[in-house]
Amino acid sequence: MEQAGWILDEEQWKAWAGSLPASGCRVIAPARGPRGEAAFTKTDDADQIARGYPGKTQMSPKEFLFPRSETLFEFRLAGNTVTLVRPPRSDNKQVLIGLRPCDAAGLRRLDEVFLQDPADEAYEHRRNQTVVIVEACTEATPSCFCTAVGGSPGGTEGADLHVTRLGGSGRILLRAITQTGSELASAASASWARATEADFAEAGDQAEAVSSSIRRQPLPARTPELLEGSFEAPEWEVVASACIGCGICTYACPSCSCFDIADTGGAACGSRCRSWDSCAFGEFTKHASGHNPRPKQSARYRQRLMHKFAYFPSQHAGQLMCVGCGRCIDLCPAGIDIHQAVLALAGAARAAHRGADEGVPV
Amino acid sequence: MNATAVETLVPILGSITEVREETHDVRTLRLDLADSEEAESFTWRAGQFVMVSVFGAGESALTITNPPAQKGFIEVTFRQMGTVTSALRRLSEGEPVGLRGPYGNSFPVEEWRGRDIAFVGGGIGMAAVHAPLWDVLGNREAYGEITVMAGAKTVADLVYRNEAGRLRDIPGVRVIQVVDPGGEEPGWDGEVGLIPQVFERMGLSGRDTTVVVCGPPVMLGFMLQATTRMGTPPSQVITTLENRMKCGVGYCGHCNVGEFMVCRDGPVVSGEVISQLPNEF
Ligand SMILES: Cc1cc2nc3c(=O)[nH]c(=O)nc-3n(C[C@H](O)[C@H](O)[C@H](O)COP(=O)(O)OP(=O)(O)OC[C@H]3O[C@@H](n4cnc5c(N)ncnc54)[C@H](O)[C@@H]3O)c2cc1C
Ligand code: SF4
Ligand code: SF4
Repeated sequence: MEQAGWILDEEQWKAWAGSLPASGCRVIAPARGPRGEAAFTKTDDADQIARGYPGKTQMSPKEFLFPRSETLFEFRLAGNTVTLVRPPRSDNKQVLIGLRPCDAAGLRRLDEVFLQDPADEAYEHRRNQTVVIVEACTEATPSCFCTAVGGSPGGTEGADLHVTRLGGSGRILLRAITQTGSELASAASASWARATEADFAEAGDQAEAVSSSIRRQPLPARTPELLEGSFEAPEWEVVASACIGCGICTYACPSCSCFDIADTGGAACGSRCRSWDSCAFGEFTKHASGHNPRPKQSARYRQRLMHKFAYFPSQHAGQLMCVGCGRCIDLCPAGIDIHQAVLALAGAARAAHRGADEGVPV
Repeated sequence: MNATAVETLVPILGSITEVREETHDVRTLRLDLADSEEAESFTWRAGQFVMVSVFGAGESALTITNPPAQKGFIEVTFRQMGTVTSALRRLSEGEPVGLRGPYGNSFPVEEWRGRDIAFVGGGIGMAAVHAPLWDVLGNREAYGEITVMAGAKTVADLVYRNEAGRLRDIPGVRVIQVVDPGGEEPGWDGEVGLIPQVFERMGLSGRDTTVVVCGPPVMLGFMLQATTRMGTPPSQVITTLENRMKCGVGYCGHCNVGEFMVCRDGPVVSGEVISQLPNEF
């Protein structure tokens, strides 16, 4: 298929992206905070929207589709009559701009969870209002490992529009990936120069260069199957021994989707909220009787890893639930590196298989 | 009811229309939906559960305990445990609740036709065997001998104790009540012992009997051993899992046992399926 793409200069890019709020869109961009760090924030500021950023944000942008906490409904009781009031839903278009390819891929994993049958209506509504503009990576950070899990610094999964800042030239390659993306660009695209084969090739080379700067080892083929058989492996105690169960990994993760539901308020009125939860917490699985199917921290860490690298793939045609953004590696107070942990477990499982094949006791 | 008919995580409204005390901490509630059309279209299969809301306290997963043939209302039997079940206990007739569901899979009652069936419940586990028991009895002639074994710590803790007489009046139904050693009272004419041991002593044909057993995890473990010794194939030992859950529809990530999602793939499982699951239930 012929690629639709345009070459914009920085002025044109800023004029277009910066005008999105004025056209009625709620724009979420990697705005720079006081110390220069980028964080996904709602902003109307054209500079913030268009300027780009190095590396990746500390938190993923998932909260704009799956909020940290949201009201499902409010209830009011009068006598024996209850009234449930749904929160208002915005029909404004939401544009998520500047997502890294791993961030957008993470949103696709959330789709798998929340858009199954039956779909989660609150999520689905926001999803239908959202346009995703991905910005290709120009550098990899030490924790990045998208290439080890099937992604790429130039990847387009989950993108409606895709931006590549072509190396230092001030030229921006903007590509429409979906119909939704073309529509968002359509008002302005007539005045932009069409991108040429050479421009696409340059973007490809750039992604290739960033890819090859990622030194992290690819996961072995059949990692899900290898892990599947490693539930009882002693290595879990080793890789998870430092985990303090803080849950930071799950909160920062672009694809972690677990939540809690809780009521607040009193008997007369209040609300039911859904909030991010974490499989790292002991309470997560604890029954009212006190029985806990995952009583140990190592069992909880195993759940997180197995969910992403074994259970989810087996239910979603081999797709991993980790997109290799490396945020959990950067933020873990205990220094746990999920990429190394998977390699260790898959490696041990492979060694065990080999041993079994050769009749060596394992 | 079709789970997609309403917003998935928003309950439909109902109220308590009858309260029955089962034991000092177990109660049965009859719940009626507020909207008659919703009540009309609310259908379920034995083994499915609902998420019951007490507004201001939260939601609990509770098995529907009346058989599907009783259209128009549902019953739940709950033990008072923590926040939600304590709040549910404070409600009386006429007070409102919310309901979501029915969710989950169900007991394969059709596959049991022609077989003998033993229904075994330990403590509040009786709640989970109640709907399939009465579903089967609603079609009595399609099944063989029926054994009902209800166990509890003490006589006073026996759930559905008053139902024993009604069950015994049905031809081909045997009822055994079991209490833990020390849990008997003067004049107690039931069994004293642990359910798996009493069950094994009963002389049932392991091969011809389908065993439906619900109760605490420890009891399940011993029942699986007992039925293995009796020659019952693992596929004919059926139980339910009760992993903690929040949404009931497969989003919230709380209830999985390996790849098995209790809310969607369960809660009903056979001994065969259980033997393939990682030990996280
Ligand atoms: C499919 C299924 C069917 C069930 N059927 C019955 C039944 O028929 N009768 C009965 O008495 N109990 C049943 N339970 C257990 C019942 O759901 C819990 O005892 C109840 O939710 C405890 O809530 P609580 O707020 O009183 O306790 P708390 O300890 O205060 O629990 C707080 C929250 O944890 C969750 N939770 C705690 N324990 C459990 C648990 N074992 N299972 C699921 N969620 C839990 C609930 O979401 C609850 O809101 C069932 C559980 C499942 C999963
Ligand atoms: S598990 Fe870690 S590396 Fe993988 S997507 Fe989540 S935060 Fe990123
Ligand atoms: S961030 Fe690290 S210490 Fe915290 S829960 Fe995750 S793995 Fe454990």
